[in-house]
Order: sequence, then C-alpha cells, then structure tokens
Amino acid sequence: MARLRAHGIGVTLPDGFEGRIFVRPQGPDGTSYPVAHFATFPLPADVADFGGGAVTLMGPGDIFAVLFEYGPESVGKALFARQGMQRSLTSSDFRPTLLRRGLGGQSGTQWFFTEAGRPFTFYAVLGSHARRGFLVPQLNTLLAALTVSPQPVVAIPGAAPWN
Amino acid sequence: MLALVLLLTFVVLLMGVLVAGLLRSHADILRALHDLGAGVGDPTAEASPRADHRHQGDHVDARPVAVPFTVGPPLPAERNHSWAPTLAGVTPQGDALAVAVTGTDTLTLVAFLSSGCSTCAGFWDALRRPDDVGLPDGIRLVVVTKGPEMEIPAEIRAKTSPGLLVIMSTEAWGDYEVPGSPFFALVDGRSGRRIGEGVAQHFSQVVELVRRAQADQQPFPLGSRGRASAAGLDGPARESANDQELQAAGIYPGHESLYPKSLDDIFPPGPSPRLAAEQARRAG
Repeated sequence: MARLRAHGIGVTLPDGFEGRIFVRPQGPDGTSYPVAHFATFPLPADVADFGGGAVTLMGPGDIFAVLFEYGPESVGKALFARQGMQRSLTSSDFRPTLLRRGLGGQSGTQWFFTEAGRPFTFYAVLGSHARRGFLVPQLNTLLAALTVSPQPVVAIPGAAPWN
Repeated sequence: MLALVLLLTFVVLLMGVLVAGLLRSHADILRALHDLGAGVGDPTAEASPRADHRHQGDHVDARPVAVPFTVGPPLPAERNHSWAPTLAGVTPQGDALAVAVTGTDTLTLVAFLSSGCSTCAGFWDALRRPDDVGLPDGIRLVVVTKGPEMEIPAEIRAKTSPGLLVIMSTEAWGDYEVPGSPFFALVDGRSGRRIGEGVAQHFSQVVELVRRAQADQQPFPLGSRGRASAAGLDGPARESANDQELQAAGIYPGHESLYPKSLDDIFPPGPSPRLAAEQARRAG
C-alpha cells in the first residue's frame, strides 16, 4: 500500500485508492492551505477543491473524498467545534442533497472539525447512493488511515474565511 | 664439497616446505569457495566437517549457498513478473501524489525519465504539451523521475507543464525494475499487469506501441470471429474447423506466415487492422 505524507497530513492508501496532498500556489493577496484529494478512479490533473472536474467522471462504484484545511482564524468558531475527525461513517450519513454538485444517483456527506489544532472539513461523494452500504466501509478504511499532525501556521493576511 | 651438499639439501628442504605451504593455502581457498557454493565439484555436496564445526556454536547452516552475482537492476529479459504497484512519491512542487494504475478500465503509460539523460531531453520537450504528443484517447500518462534525494526538484519543475502528472519516486523505479532512462511501461488497469515495457528514442515509437496495445485491449468484435467461434465449436471440432479455414486460405503446415521473423510481421506498420476496422465502424 502506498504511503503519502505532506503538509502535516499523512495516509496509507487502501487498495484501489489514489490521492494527492497539495497546497495551491498563493495568490498575490491571499494564502493557501493544504487540500487532500482521494479517489478510487483516475483523478484528472486539475481538480477543484471540492471535486469540480472529478465527480462527473465517477462511476457507480467510485468514491471521491476531500480533506480541506481552513485558515487559523477559523479555530474556535462554532462550525469547527467538533474535536477530531469522524473515523467511521454510516450509510445514514450520506444523502443526495448533501452534494455540492447534485449529480443524479450520487450521494454525499460533509463534516467540519478541528484536529491537531487545525480546522478542516471532510467532504465525500459516493458514485451511487443505492450502493452506499458497499462503498461506506471502503471510505471508512481510508478515514482510519488518515493522520493529521500539528503544523506551524504562517500567518498571512487574507487567509481563506471559514464561511 | 660437503658444504655444497649440505647447502643444496637445505635449499631443497626449504623449497619443499614452501611448496607444502602453498598447497595448503590453495586447499584452504578451494574449501572456502566450495563453502560459498562457488567451488569446483558438486556444490550440493555436504560441507566439510571443518565448516560444520566452525558454525556449530551459532547453528548456521554451512551447506553451499548460491552467491548472487548481479550488477544493477535486472534487464527486461531477466524479469519474471509484471506487477504494477501504485506510483507514490512527491511532486516537483513538494506535494504528495499517489497514482493507482490498477483497478481501472484505463491503460496507463508510465514514462521513467531523468533530468540529465540526453535522450530524455526530447521526451521532456514533447511533454511540454502532453495533449499534442499523439497518445490515443483514454491513455493516462504519468512521468516518474527518481526522488528528490537523487534529482533536483527545481530542474524537474522547469521541464514540466501544468497538465502533466509527475511523480518523483526512487521507490517506483525499483518497483518497476527500471534499468535506465528513458524507460516506458504500459499498465493495463483491468488486469493489473504491465502489458508492455521498454525503451524508445522518440515519442512516436511509444505512441505506436500504445496504439497497438490499445487495439489489442478492444473486445474482439463478434462479426470478425472465425466460423468455429460463431458456430460455438470447442475442443477437437474447433481445431478441425480452424484447420479447414486455414487450408481454405492456402495456409498449410510450414507456411511462412506461421513463423514471423519480427514484430512487424505480426503488427504491420501503421494502424492495426482491428483498430482501423474499429475506427471505420465508429465513423460509419
């Protein structure tokens, strides 16, 4: 199994998953924080933070997941009050209405939390809502393998707002 | 005279002692080589009692063992497996990236390149516009260089374009037994195996090989099957029907078409007949 580690995020990828952990180039007046993409299908070279350009390529048996970090000013906000990443999801956590982009048949879930002093959201899309009973255990394998470590944050004006 | 005889006797005795010492030393060397499995005679024979005694205390098996004598990674002809593990490493930008090449319906072309090799320069130039290199649709291209401990990320970064997947991973070079750069491996995601690999001088050669492999991956169209398949024959009946069909086409035992001398005899230059037929079918 392949191991990935960058920007304070690590994972031992379960079989069938690929992924990338990256930071987008900073804009002239902003900053950028780590994003991790994981998928059971070939990820295109350029995927938007929450799966734009990738979720349209999913088959019914595919999974796409995002771990997205927000700026340090979001720590302590009510949205990120949950401590620790959800490591085990159930079929009832997924709904077709939770998708950022409502594609027919797909299903999604999203969680906001703080881990290792860093504010995150975890967003996952299943290729088929009907097959969530089969797909969710695979996603849980990925969640169990994800690690987040504290990372010194460089304060840069114009950080991405939590909302 | 007596002194001369005594001197000669002494010299002869001295020479005898030296020869005996040399023979003993030679025997020790031969015994040591035999213990290592490289001696003269039957290497599977029992080790000498001396060797057994020497290793008695630490229970080491003193039987002759094969001594690997290889330099560098195995050459393609020496390899006996074709597994295709996930490619994982870092990008020239310092991000982490893992590309799974199995478990999908796509073919993945993995290009192992270096920043320093002169032949690789042409490939790097071609890959500045990966959409223009002429790869067939549906082929995923991944470039793998050695890791940051052996390549300078800034140099690799300068050679790449935004749309190109580049992984820096020395481990991947080991996994795929890359003998040197440039080297290419084509992985069939469905079977999870490398279905082709080798070196090339120009990207056009790689593209042609990929085209042929992709054509071979196409499901065999029912209409072009032989009569034996169409009739649902199997076993001896199928062989007999195939023989009749070959004979009807003038192909008897010993026909030169049954003994191709090169790859071109099997895959004539240009698009394969099957791919051409498929393209014509789609166009029509």
